[in-house]
Amino acid sequence: MSFLSLSYFLFFPVTALVYFVLPQRARNGWLLGCSWFFYLCAGGSYFPFLLSTVLVTYFAARALEKKPRRGLLAGALCLFIGALGIFKYLRFGMESLSRLLALAGLDWAPVAPKLLLPAGISFYLFAAMGYLIDVYRGRLPAEKSFLKCALFLSFFPSLLSGPIGRGEKLLPQFDSYHKFNYVNMREGFFRFLWGAFKKLVLADRLAVVVDTVFAAPQNYGAIQVVIAACAFSVQIYCDFSAYSDMAVGSARVMGFELIENFRTPYFSRSIAEFWRRWHISLSSWFRDYLYIPLGGSRRGAVRKYVNVLIVFAVSGLWHGAALTFVVWGLLNGLYQVVSALTAPLRARARSVLPFGEDSRILALWQMGWVFVLSTLAWVFFEAGSLAGALGVLRNMVKPVLWDVGGLSAMGMGRKEFLVAGLGFLVLLGVDARSLKADPAREVAEAPRWIRWGVYLALLLSAVVFGSYGTGYDAQSFIYGQF
Amino acid sequence: MATEVLVKTEEKRVSPREPLWCLAFVLTAALLLHVCGNVLRPLHTDYGSTWSAYLAEPEDSLDVLFLGSSYAYCDWNPAVMYEASGLTGYVMGGSEQTPGITYWYLREALETQSPSVVVMEATSLFFDRYQNYTQINLGYMPWGLNRVRAILECAEEDKRLGLFWDLYFYHDRWKELGLVDIKKAIFPPGADHLKGHTAVDQVFEGTEGGPFLSGMRQSEEVYQQNLQDFARIAGLCAEKGIDLVVTINPTYSQYTPEVYDRLKADVEANPGVRFFDWSDGFAPAGLDPTRHLYDGGHLNQEGAKIFSAWTGEQLRDLGYEPRVQTEENRRAWEEAAEKWR
Repeated sequence: MSFLSLSYFLFFPVTALVYFVLPQRARNGWLLGCSWFFYLCAGGSYFPFLLSTVLVTYFAARALEKKPRRGLLAGALCLFIGALGIFKYLRFGMESLSRLLALAGLDWAPVAPKLLLPAGISFYLFAAMGYLIDVYRGRLPAEKSFLKCALFLSFFPSLLSGPIGRGEKLLPQFDSYHKFNYVNMREGFFRFLWGAFKKLVLADRLAVVVDTVFAAPQNYGAIQVVIAACAFSVQIYCDFSAYSDMAVGSARVMGFELIENFRTPYFSRSIAEFWRRWHISLSSWFRDYLYIPLGGSRRGAVRKYVNVLIVFAVSGLWHGAALTFVVWGLLNGLYQVVSALTAPLRARARSVLPFGEDSRILALWQMGWVFVLSTLAWVFFEAGSLAGALGVLRNMVKPVLWDVGGLSAMGMGRKEFLVAGLGFLVLLGVDARSLKADPAREVAEAPRWIRWGVYLALLLSAVVFGSYGTGYDAQSFIYGQF
Repeated sequence: MATEVLVKTEEKRVSPREPLWCLAFVLTAALLLHVCGNVLRPLHTDYGSTWSAYLAEPEDSLDVLFLGSSYAYCDWNPAVMYEASGLTGYVMGGSEQTPGITYWYLREALETQSPSVVVMEATSLFFDRYQNYTQINLGYMPWGLNRVRAILECAEEDKRLGLFWDLYFYHDRWKELGLVDIKKAIFPPGADHLKGHTAVDQVFEGTEGGPFLSGMRQSEEVYQQNLQDFARIAGLCAEKGIDLVVTINPTYSQYTPEVYDRLKADVEANPGVRFFDWSDGFAPAGLDPTRHLYDGGHLNQEGAKIFSAWTGEQLRDLGYEPRVQTEENRRAWEEAAEKWR
């Protein structure tokens, strides 16, 4: 059940309404039932995996609380990582091994079994692993109620594509009584509409240009390929942050607060900052449960850089079982290593410039670089293969700047480019505003005529200018496949 | 025990009118979406399903209601029939319209009219369960229970969302939006001289070999389903005291005599229904296939004129008399007929 589907538009109001009508003791049961129904709609065959994860997590956490045995934690983590490995990476692993053996002159071509990939598995398994580690470390008590533990891992707004829940933040909220609150409802409604706007007006529209150009970059001029690559940077931001907005918005209506997954990442002034503001729930997970246990920055510079590269390689692999994702991750890690190594040099260079560290020109220059670097890395993320990615990059620097066919050859007409451009300006405006205040809160507390104006403008823009319906290939959320 | 937490913002004193404001917002949003849908949905004035013009006809002013598919709206020109017989009529059919949809059309059409006779072209009984133009046929029906039930019963599953919500089909027309779209949303088209007819002016050039046989594509199950829908049409006519005449119009795209014989028997199994196989009726109607066919199947506009006048005479011979019209409506029909002279 996608957030942008008729079934969700029926499911959510009923879920929220009944939630507020029910007495507190029945609310978590209702939410769990609804969450499981939501998951069953994604595919009945996925449900046993979620249920098994819940059972293992619940009992392992209870046991770890009684006696924090390293072996038990390792066993549970191995089980989860093993499940991920089998369902997500088996084929990739076997193919990689086969390629390696071929390099050594051995001919081994195994046939990997076709296994289903349960929806949201990467998200709820990471939530489960984080929770178990927290319990093991004594930072969090094991949840005694099976129902709440199950709800923590199955909570429908964040179940399929995050934000990856943290026990310390989400579990206490299931104990709280959430009174219906108009401000929460307005904020949630704004977040949902804003997400719908970003997904339908921007992400899915830009997807047409990206898919068209990336499919045959050799047919386009360098500028067209660069436009498509930049378009993908905006597309993936709008796509994933839209999902997070809708998840956060849905939860907010019911009085829950989920982790904010994005904080205007393209306004970052360094790649390190970018990763503190992009997919925050995953980045912070890797920081807390992988980077720091690996030693973080405590064991010298070299080890720190190795740790960064390991974390980003794993992060790449988390996104998908393909070499392109690993390269994408490593490239981002490499940016950070190079950035750290050249930091003193760049600081010296900046010191001779006639403007200070806080000047707008410098900030814009640095943001521009972050955008360029992340866009180059995103090419590997979007291209189906390494050869494809290199093809796109090659075509970005070829001498032909603009091939025949104009804008429409890129899959969109002039008016569509205009709408995408205007939508992008709105995005910039809202993101810029969010640096100083919470736009959802501001709108929720604004006079009625402003509030209605904003809601109706977003609603009508998404409905009229959105890419959906007859004649469009429905684009699923990009992060839905991870 | 649960503790009450105040989420982020302590709500200020909530006005007791707040739920009403929420409702007002929902209604405003629905209204705006409806207006957008009306603006973006293309203007539709021919090729059937011309509901807007139909509803502009004065109530209970029609003697004859023509139903069916493109064979109905291409072959019958009610304004010409009026001139020849004095009978007023309207074609309320749709492209490749299945009998199931025709039933709901009839129900809806009878909300504002009470014709003496319904004339249905029966080729649609040989159609499949779903044909190609459900979106148009149901998308232009007036909103109401009949439309809802027609969508749920007769539309392909993947079309239902768009049929309930125009913007799903037509939102992308913002790129080609013109003044005419806004104008038609504010002033929907009124009664016109077409009366549901669509005039096509091409002349079919493949008449040398005479009529050709159309292959039966539907299954027996679908045919039986179509007959059931037809039975509902016949039942509704009987319930309302309206005669039902079923025809196969002159065409070169024919089925075998056995098929027509079976159709006649199946149709006439419904009490009071009269069936006329005019598929070979070119000469009696005064039609010349070399000049009056559009594409082998349908009549062109010249053929439609001749056939409509002849149909009017046939209906008069069957005993149907023109009803008394208001002076204003009589003048409107005279003007409509004038356009075809």
